[in-house]
Amino acid sequence: MKRRAMSSAVPVAKHLLVFAAIIAIWEGASAIGLIDVILLPEPHKIAASIWKMYVEDAVIYRHFLITFYEALAGFVIGGLIGLGLAVASSLNDGFRRYVSPYAILLNVTPGLALTPIVIAWFGFGFSSKIALGAIVCFFPVFVNTLLALTRTDSETLEMFQSMRASKTEIFWKLRVPAALPMIFAGFKIAITTALVGAVVAEFSQATAGIGVLMQRLSFALDMSGAIAALLSMSLLGLILFTLIEILDDRVVFWRRVSRLETVSRKRRDRWFADHGPKSGTPTGRKETT
Amino acid sequence: MSEIGDIRSPQGGHRRTVILRHVGIFVSLISAWEIACRLGWLDPLFFPFPSAILTGFWRLYVAQGNIWPHLGLTMAEVLVGFVAGSAFGIGLAICVGMVDRLRRYMKPYVVILEATPRIAIGPVIIAAFGFGWTSKTAIVMLVCFFAPFVNTLNGMVGVEAEKLSMFRSMRASKTQTFLKLMLPSALPEISAGLRLAMASALGGALVAEFIASNAGLGVLINQYTSTLNMASAFVCVLTLSALGYFIFRGMEELDRILVFWNDRDRTARVGERRKAAWAAGKGGKS
Repeated sequence: MKRRAMSSAVPVAKHLLVFAAIIAIWEGASAIGLIDVILLPEPHKIAASIWKMYVEDAVIYRHFLITFYEALAGFVIGGLIGLGLAVASSLNDGFRRYVSPYAILLNVTPGLALTPIVIAWFGFGFSSKIALGAIVCFFPVFVNTLLALTRTDSETLEMFQSMRASKTEIFWKLRVPAALPMIFAGFKIAITTALVGAVVAEFSQATAGIGVLMQRLSFALDMSGAIAALLSMSLLGLILFTLIEILDDRVVFWRRVSRLETVSRKRRDRWFADHGPKSGTPTGRKETT
Repeated sequence: MSEIGDIRSPQGGHRRTVILRHVGIFVSLISAWEIACRLGWLDPLFFPFPSAILTGFWRLYVAQGNIWPHLGLTMAEVLVGFVAGSAFGIGLAICVGMVDRLRRYMKPYVVILEATPRIAIGPVIIAAFGFGWTSKTAIVMLVCFFAPFVNTLNGMVGVEAEKLSMFRSMRASKTQTFLKLMLPSALPEISAGLRLAMASALGGALVAEFIASNAGLGVLINQYTSTLNMASAFVCVLTLSALGYFIFRGMEELDRILVFWNDRDRTARVGERRKAAWAAGKGGKS
């Protein structure tokens, strides 16, 4: 978007300036009474609450870890089920035809509506939060994986077939690598929905977790504390999202040129180490002709 | 979605036999459930009999009819919140998208807002707006605001630079650039954003009702589960599934109408109609 190549310090400074201006306007508006400070406290009060929450009382960490664990566990369980069903559906069309109507039924039901039922089933502890997280994050993984695995480039497929690739080879060397970017896109959606599921279940019935903390604070009309908790939730969401992004970068290494170069260099070195530098090219063919 | 939802077998096969097979599987699943309940393998307190759910439908919809006011209220919250929230989101995104400078500085805030679980703002909004339906509508609005906003912004930023410079070289005005270039190329994404928003609107309204409310389907589900009247709770959930399905189909239809050029039949039809309108406008001379 930048027209000229600027040093990176200038845009950062500009962003900070804009941020400071927004905060200043907000403070000013609260000072003259344009904003109801009970409902939307001034920025310095929110900052004070953040300080209190993270440093003075340090109450947030326990809740933070609990919600983190619930969201991650829900994502792993829901993601694995979605992945498994999608892979099975992509391999066997009959299976897909009989599974997909139920998957779609689950999708059109707002998963969060199941909160009270899930809590009745799994109790007040962690498991109900994990279960709700798993339910709501199942579908994004399922649909993305299934679509990605079935939409293989037909020309590449033809080439694989003309080289007499076996079904296993086509699956592992063609379908899976081609599908991975889209599968990870599904993971990215799913991890944030798993967080939503965990937090909503906490709203309903729980004793610990960021959702509980926030609900308590906001019902005590400690709005600055509630907003601090909300910001912590954004932080949690960002952390979870970044985790998936890092994983994406590791697994789908060929999409970024620098990663691609690093990985191919590493693979080449490993190949040479195994085979000795004289034995041929990495394509496996001896350089005899 | 329609791709994976396709239940027809590729071998062709009679439509009727395919449907029969699906119905057969469904019926056997349900009867297995019923039998498992009757034999005491599943606790009917938590997993109600399918027959109990069926009678629950009759009771809630006809005999007592007590679901209707709750259903109406939830629907009203969803619709008002969706229309207001998405209109606000698209409007703001258009304003931001037309101004180059603004767009650049908005990005970090959009990222933070994206990472926040929207529904999590629920308790704060309920504290601000009270326990009535306004707070629920406000939450739905908020939930429906983001996806259209982000998608519209993305769609407008994603316009090809070459096309933009062509418009500029032909001296298109700002309005023309917006109406004939930016808006059409952003429409598929806007429509996708609307679909996302609508999908989350129902969930948003329910969660808001779970947190604090005195009427609505969420409250009804909460009441039934806390009295362990699971069959009635399932009736409410299945009602929501049906609602969700109709909403989903409706949004798909809207997408076909808005983004008519992605569907060949519709493109042809709209083209015909525009041609006729143009000919009529020119008085048939041309």
